[in-house]
Amino acid sequence: MTGMGIWRLLNGEEDIGQSPRFWLGAGAVLLALLLLPFYQTEFQASNAAYYLLNIPLALGLSMLWGYGGILSFGQVAYFGIAGYTYGVIAGNLSATSLGPLIGMVGGIVCCAIVGAIFGYFVFFGRVQNWIIPILTLVFTLLLETFLGQTAGYQWRIGTVQLGGYNGMTSIPSFQIGDRVFQGYWFYFFTLGLTLSAYVCCRLLVNSHYGKVLIAVREDVLRTEMLGYDIRVHQLTVFVLAAALAGLSGLLYVQWGNYITPSQVGLVPAALPVIWVAVGGRDRLLAVAIATYLLNWINYALSEAGNEYAPVIMGTLLLAVMLFFPRGIIAAIAELRRPKSRAAATVPAPDGPK
Amino acid sequence: MDAIGFAANIVYQFLTNASFLLLAAIGLVVILGMMNIINLAHGELMMMGAYTATISTHHGIPFPLAVLLAFFLVGIFGAVLERLIIRRFYGRELGALVVTWGISLIMGQGTLLLFGPFMPSIGIPGGSFALGSHSFATYWIALICISGLLIGALWWTYHNTRFGLMSRATMQKSAMAEALGVNTDRIYMLTFALGAGLAGISGALLAPTASISPLMGQQFVAPAFITVVVGGGANVLAGAVGSSLLLSLVKTPVGLILGAFLGTVALLLTALIVIRLMPNGISAYLQRFTERRVGA
Repeated sequence: MTGMGIWRLLNGEEDIGQSPRFWLGAGAVLLALLLLPFYQTEFQASNAAYYLLNIPLALGLSMLWGYGGILSFGQVAYFGIAGYTYGVIAGNLSATSLGPLIGMVGGIVCCAIVGAIFGYFVFFGRVQNWIIPILTLVFTLLLETFLGQTAGYQWRIGTVQLGGYNGMTSIPSFQIGDRVFQGYWFYFFTLGLTLSAYVCCRLLVNSHYGKVLIAVREDVLRTEMLGYDIRVHQLTVFVLAAALAGLSGLLYVQWGNYITPSQVGLVPAALPVIWVAVGGRDRLLAVAIATYLLNWINYALSEAGNEYAPVIMGTLLLAVMLFFPRGIIAAIAELRRPKSRAAATVPAPDGPK
Repeated sequence: MDAIGFAANIVYQFLTNASFLLLAAIGLVVILGMMNIINLAHGELMMMGAYTATISTHHGIPFPLAVLLAFFLVGIFGAVLERLIIRRFYGRELGALVVTWGISLIMGQGTLLLFGPFMPSIGIPGGSFALGSHSFATYWIALICISGLLIGALWWTYHNTRFGLMSRATMQKSAMAEALGVNTDRIYMLTFALGAGLAGISGALLAPTASISPLMGQQFVAPAFITVVVGGGANVLAGAVGSSLLLSLVKTPVGLILGAFLGTVALLLTALIVIRLMPNGISAYLQRFTERRVGA
């Protein structure tokens, strides 16, 4: 593909921002993120990395729900699967410096396989649209229950113990050769991966594949009549979302060096849906911004010892669904658009009653 | 004698599991079947029923009365929810899913803040009796009967009362029903309240058998939704009965031999296989089957 072609995809209309002013602003934000070590401590950079590392998960859900019209409450399941897989592989291969790299590949592959099996049953069974979120939620709850009862010495893979409700501890950080990614290094590692994930998603939604995906969301039957195998499109976007959730899970365990089953519990499962809904589910950049900000707010709330954090997040979700069904950040971005464009974007129907 | 006891035990376990699934799903089934709304706050409505029954029993109210109280209290709460929030999401399935999930998050965490992480549960009323070397709890046998009665009462309500007739008309074609003078808005509110009340009554009935905590709703989510998914939407009441019997047929042996967790996993796997074979659930299959029989 030529350079012009890639630019056309990057500047497509399925995400926020095509004007030169937008790209100038995006460049300034990127510069600020790159120069972060000059004005933030290593601890603050590590926090920023935490807000960033949730973005791939949210982007995956946005692709799935906002663009594909398939809602999943179970993205954290893949987050957990990748985290645990990485912990097992990297923990067992701690003698070699290649362990973490193999662990990352293994985690993503594992997510993709589980997502493909689950998706096969769901999409090739032509399950009705409303059943999928429920099945993904049930899958997540079962995974949490399963991981919770893996306490004790008999639950170990190689030398790594799964650890029941206490979770898996002392998971190795990422490393290449002798370079261990912590502090600023981990921040840049996360920034790089998150940014690449975002750019890839943005290219994808503006490509032919993205157009078909949106067509599937708008009208399954019509898209099928035009000759597209909708099941394949739904399955691939589901696997992609699983892999992106896995990427977030990998970064999470490398960041905190531990993971517990409560990471796949009901409250963490709700959070990605909140980020995506608050941002604007069919605008990738809005989702990314909302994810960063909401993680920041959530962290600030819980750091202040505020046990109301989940209630506040739930209320936020209710308010957004009632008053900004298209998302707050997407609505703000829409304000700055020319009138004709804004009028053309009607709310995406969730399907006939 | 022990052979009889053993056989009775198998039947007892089977019916216990089936009635648990039915009770967990019944409120959900009404709301889904009549309104096409997937109520993810269902588990929390059951939790609310369980808390109502437990707190009022602790205050000396007799248990049967406490169960009725749970029905009305949660039902009224459901009506309020419908008026304020749910009615804005008719016809938007995924939107309703997300918004009810937000409600469930607020209810669960709010209860945690209000009542703390645990509450002493009430003992199982009634004793038990033995047959051979197997013992049977009277309460569970009562629950089996009650769940049968509830389904019967629902069926009767929807087929023999004016409310039932009007709600079935609303469900089939709401615009037509409205044109004929049915206040569909009110029907929707009453249906949601009924579904919430049934969730409350189920939660109250299951309260003595469960540990009472703000997050207890979660344990009903998986069985309730699997039952509904397997049952399908063609004829929700028949589907719920059929699927709870089928799922119990799977869960009982697996649970007895391999433990409760794998029993639940078996439920999910059964659900995946059933919807692969019959995408519209058991009820659609049953309906086709009976239609063929009648047609022939």
